[in-house]
Amino acid sequence: MNLQQLLRLPRYLGALGPPRRRWWSPSLDTIASVGSWRGQSSRSPAYWNQVVSEAEKIVGYPTSFMSLRCLLSDELSNIAMQVRKLVGTQHPLLTTARELVHDSRHNLQLRGLVVLLISKAAGPSSMNASCQNYDMVSGIYSCQRSLAEITELIHTALLVHRGIVNLNELQSSDGPLKDMQFGNKIAILSGDFLLANACNGLALLQNTKVVELLASALMDLVQGAYHENSTSAKETYITDDIGISTWKEKTFLSHGALLAKSCQAAMELAKHDAEVQDMAFQYGKHMAMSHKINSDLQPFIKEKTSDSMTFNLNSAPVVLHQEFLGRDLWIKQIREAQEKGILDYAKLRETIKAGKGVTSAIDLCRYHGNKALAALESFPPSEARSALENIVFAVTRFS
Amino acid sequence: MASRWWRWRRGCSWRPAARSPGPGSPGGAGPQGPRAAADARAQMACFHFMKHLTSAFPNVYSISRFHHTTPVACCYSKTRSGEKFTDPFKLGWRDLKGLYEDIRKELLISTTELKEMSEYYFDGKGKAFRPIIVVLMARACNIHHNNSRDVQASQRSIALIAEMIHTASLVHDDVIDDASSRRGKHTVNKIWGEKKAVLAGDLILSAASIALARIGNTTVISILTQVIEDLVRGEFLQLGSKENEDERFAHYLEKTFKKTASLIANSCKAVSVLGCPDPVVHEIAYQYGKNVGIAFQLIDDVLDFTSCSDQMGKPTSADLKLGLATGPVLFASQQFPEMNAMIMRRFSLPGDVDRARQYVLQSDGVQQTTYLAQRYCHEAIREISKLRPSPERDALIQLSEIVLTRDK
Repeated sequence: MNLQQLLRLPRYLGALGPPRRRWWSPSLDTIASVGSWRGQSSRSPAYWNQVVSEAEKIVGYPTSFMSLRCLLSDELSNIAMQVRKLVGTQHPLLTTARELVHDSRHNLQLRGLVVLLISKAAGPSSMNASCQNYDMVSGIYSCQRSLAEITELIHTALLVHRGIVNLNELQSSDGPLKDMQFGNKIAILSGDFLLANACNGLALLQNTKVVELLASALMDLVQGAYHENSTSAKETYITDDIGISTWKEKTFLSHGALLAKSCQAAMELAKHDAEVQDMAFQYGKHMAMSHKINSDLQPFIKEKTSDSMTFNLNSAPVVLHQEFLGRDLWIKQIREAQEKGILDYAKLRETIKAGKGVTSAIDLCRYHGNKALAALESFPPSEARSALENIVFAVTRFS
Repeated sequence: MASRWWRWRRGCSWRPAARSPGPGSPGGAGPQGPRAAADARAQMACFHFMKHLTSAFPNVYSISRFHHTTPVACCYSKTRSGEKFTDPFKLGWRDLKGLYEDIRKELLISTTELKEMSEYYFDGKGKAFRPIIVVLMARACNIHHNNSRDVQASQRSIALIAEMIHTASLVHDDVIDDASSRRGKHTVNKIWGEKKAVLAGDLILSAASIALARIGNTTVISILTQVIEDLVRGEFLQLGSKENEDERFAHYLEKTFKKTASLIANSCKAVSVLGCPDPVVHEIAYQYGKNVGIAFQLIDDVLDFTSCSDQMGKPTSADLKLGLATGPVLFASQQFPEMNAMIMRRFSLPGDVDRARQYVLQSDGVQQTTYLAQRYCHEAIREISKLRPSPERDALIQLSEIVLTRDK
């Protein structure tokens, strides 16, 4: 046991004492603090990056090692050579590949990072006294590090598979059919390759419950991706007639399930009990929801938004706007913003901003943020826990 | 394995022998009676092939002796005499009642269209070749181990999972190959589009993984995870082609193992692990599945040339159209070196596919491939014969012969 762990020990033991529920009392302060961040400064990428990079220091080293190993393998480097053929086409695989390399928003590694942080925040389990602490680095078991990488692999695989194009819907501007076909082929194979690596990593963890959790997360993710694909494929500018509760269900599948179940699995790997596992699940779920709503809000709250900037008609503020307005009025508003069949997003955005959708989306984002913070209260205070809190503060802060 | 094939290719004498009939010779181009077509020339190749097998399967110490003392024909009559003349499919199906209903239960999906897509191939019209082998192997191993007359629920689950993994890979393969029909109906990608088809494949895979995890055995998880990895690597192998003629055959066999045999071999191994603690039995199950699996695919590649599309439920010469050089083509190119250029350009020029097909049918590529499949089946039979006799063991022996004689 190293010095760092020794230093953490008293705090950890304190957390195990009987009056565990006492941790709920300061949670009110924390919840209040979500609001207090509001006035400080506008959400800036710089602040977000600072939160993420400090969190990365806490976990020792970042996540994407296994992904890198995959990228350097024979199979994928062959593919990288082939992807050059796609340059000049509109195949989505190119965008995905670009985002993998230049990930300015840190969204790709975020899932793995959260899994590592929550692993560290929970520490070793008391039920697991016999467990080998020697394979801990920076307070995280090596199996938990593998899990974090697997989480990233699954996320990336689905990202790649979502970028398949339907060949019978191609526009002439997309590029030659043969190239698009080839792009699909490469996208399927690379996605499958990442998934196979994830399966392999999961099998090595030698824990059937973790395999089941992550496999069901994959199933959720696929269903979520299916919903997103089928809504974005709609040609008309009419949004789905869904209420916010349906929206939340679908968004949990596409954005929350993987992180929630990975956080839970990280606890299972350290043999934490069902209660701790549930708290980790809740943090992952609510943090992911609040993160998603935050990014949905960006087109509506950025000070300088270029007029042509489009937004998803099934994003949280729009769905809430529709809910307040009623379906008929909303369709009327969309019609009014349409000119010769082309939707004027700038005009529609102003309409939405005038309604209550944006402010209720901010409220919803904070609601999930607070739920995430509340779940963290059952973990002993530590720098890892603070980092998890800071991530919530960063996504719930609006100017 | 790969390098051994290469050595075999170099060391054996079938190349000059195979060349003798010359182009245009009618020498057995007909699709019928592949077993009868194992003529004297093939017998000679057999001798060298057996020599090769000895080195390819080092644990098989008795094989060369087996060859020298037992003529090939005799080996057949021997297995024939032990036959119970029960249909292995009927025998296996007794444990598989409700197979497709149970698979559909694993696909717990709320969205109607997504569920419809995922269930599309679980319509009960497939051969269920893999589940049949899996349950027969389960029973054969259980009887071998402690004369148990039961199949465990977990072993039956492996049959479901094997069929699900197989189907998931079919759905993805059809998108990759832009295939439009399978099993006599349109492919998922033709009906719902590529985007959704890929997700349907992922969904079936995730459902299979959940079912696998619920068995609760980490060894079994590792065994079947190997299959998923092999399937992807096999697909990658299919993407590339070797310039070196000698490497091509090894490449082809490696691809065949990964894309087809690995699933059968590893699911056989998984049920043996669940039914019996003896590692020797696990190896027998694995070797049986591997050899039957390779034979199965070799015959599949032959049927692509000899069968008509109505029988197969998918278009024939499909492999050539995809640019793939399978066994019959590789053997034919030994007789007709002008095929090498076509192989290298993946039959991409107009007329290549038809010409290659003609060359194959004029050569003895079909017979050579069938013969090779027979060798793999013999090896499978030799392995499974190490288990204690049981109706299921004999059904597995019979099944490996059905693999050779099937016409669809």
